[in-house]
Amino acid sequence: MIKGLLKKDLYNLASYKTSLIIIVLFCGIAIIGTDAIYWGSVVIGIIGGMISLSTFSYDEMSKSNRYILTLPVTRKEIVLEKYILAIGATVLGSLFGFVLTLFIGNVMNYLRPDHIIDISLETLFNTTIGGMFGVSLIQAIQIPSIFKWGSEKGRIQMFIIIFLLVIIGAVLGFFIQQAGFSINIEKLETVLKNFGLVLLVLLSFVMYFISYKISYKIYKNKEE
Amino acid sequence: MNTIEIKNVSKKYDGFFLNNISFDVPAGAIVGLIGENGAGKTTTIKAILNIINSEGTVQILGKDSKRDEKEIKKDLGVVLDDSFLSNYLTPKQISSVMKDFYSTWDENKYEELLKQFGLPNGKLIKDFSSGMKMKLKIAVSISHHPKLLILDEPTSGLDPVVRNEILDIFRMYIEEDETRSILLSSHITTDLEHISDYIVFIDKGKIVLKAPTGELLEDYGIVKCTKEEFSKIKEEDYIRYRKSKYQYEVLTSDKDKIKKKYSISSIDKPSIEDIMLFYIRGER
Repeated sequence: MIKGLLKKDLYNLASYKTSLIIIVLFCGIAIIGTDAIYWGSVVIGIIGGMISLSTFSYDEMSKSNRYILTLPVTRKEIVLEKYILAIGATVLGSLFGFVLTLFIGNVMNYLRPDHIIDISLETLFNTTIGGMFGVSLIQAIQIPSIFKWGSEKGRIQMFIIIFLLVIIGAVLGFFIQQAGFSINIEKLETVLKNFGLVLLVLLSFVMYFISYKISYKIYKNKEE
Repeated sequence: MNTIEIKNVSKKYDGFFLNNISFDVPAGAIVGLIGENGAGKTTTIKAILNIINSEGTVQILGKDSKRDEKEIKKDLGVVLDDSFLSNYLTPKQISSVMKDFYSTWDENKYEELLKQFGLPNGKLIKDFSSGMKMKLKIAVSISHHPKLLILDEPTSGLDPVVRNEILDIFRMYIEEDETRSILLSSHITTDLEHISDYIVFIDKGKIVLKAPTGELLEDYGIVKCTKEEFSKIKEEDYIRYRKSKYQYEVLTSDKDKIKKKYSISSIDKPSIEDIMLFYIRGER
């Protein structure tokens, strides 16, 4: 059943193919034109992750949510499918960006031996994972917002939620500082250097999981 | 045996109350759900399909509609007036998607229906006319050989020729297997006169009439009389009456009885629309 929903969304997204090719070409040119080559994978990952969420708009435009509920598919599967699509698009987009950046960087180094760009695989990998984490954070907030308020209103509500989270973070930081807690920056840096990537990936999964639970709770009782 | 059993289904919205709806859809029958726009037909269908949360119980094909929802929906074909899978897909892509929802999806039947309806396989649905869209929805709804069809306003906004074609499809669907049933909502009552076995009439969220269509068309009658003649008719012998400037019109559920009892020479045969109007506008 999830396969059917995925197919439906992928067919909907197929209408984006021309725009996608243009975006990738644009990113390719941008990668060539700059030494900040590592951003290529991040930008393409973000595009992939964000485009996957436009399937909500397609569903709204076709008023398909009500019809989908008449098919042999549970509400849980409907919610799960959106997460599979979002995660899949982010991972595939980032992977594609990773490969594209490597390819273009090496081609350019071959063509411009006098202007060699230093491509560190480790840095490119770290940047890609960092970018994926950023996308997962936005998706984890945006998907429940869309399930609750719809794709138009959901975007506005998402910004409000992010704004509130930043405020809460700042207030918490302020109180921690006032309470006299001292953070061992050196220790923190060592932990981040050794386990940073694993932590980011784990955190992404935790965020997606919590986000999925919230989305399902919203959609379980939603009336179409 | 009943394909659908609806018992005491209620749903409250701001300014609207679907009030304790109960009726059955017998196996092999076509049941027409009629009523004005906003009377509660679509809300009833949404409650049956679990699209909205409602009170009461619904049994479909002997199973509980909430507990066995997924199982039930495998044997169900649904057409909704204003909602479909996507407008940005082609009929060919729809078939490829539906294969994954229904293990019984019959691609050959679907292709045959597309040909029969003259629907192009590779064109985006958003470019279809409303008649074409409705034909496609119907083709999709019957191509997995469902045991039950639930159709919300499948003929609204269509011209008479297309409406007739669509009614033929429903007739064919029932004729293929006599245990199949259809629940069909419409405010175009003439369509239901031709096709339905039973009529359920909803008005302001309440069922005001449920009866076999044949009974409504054969036994019901409209007596046209003067004020004096009307005053002689006992209240138990009529359902509703309407008075105009020069005459009274009286709706009865037993035209032969009233004919004999009051020596009335001519009684008109009502259409379902006439009956509906008497219930909505008439007095008691």
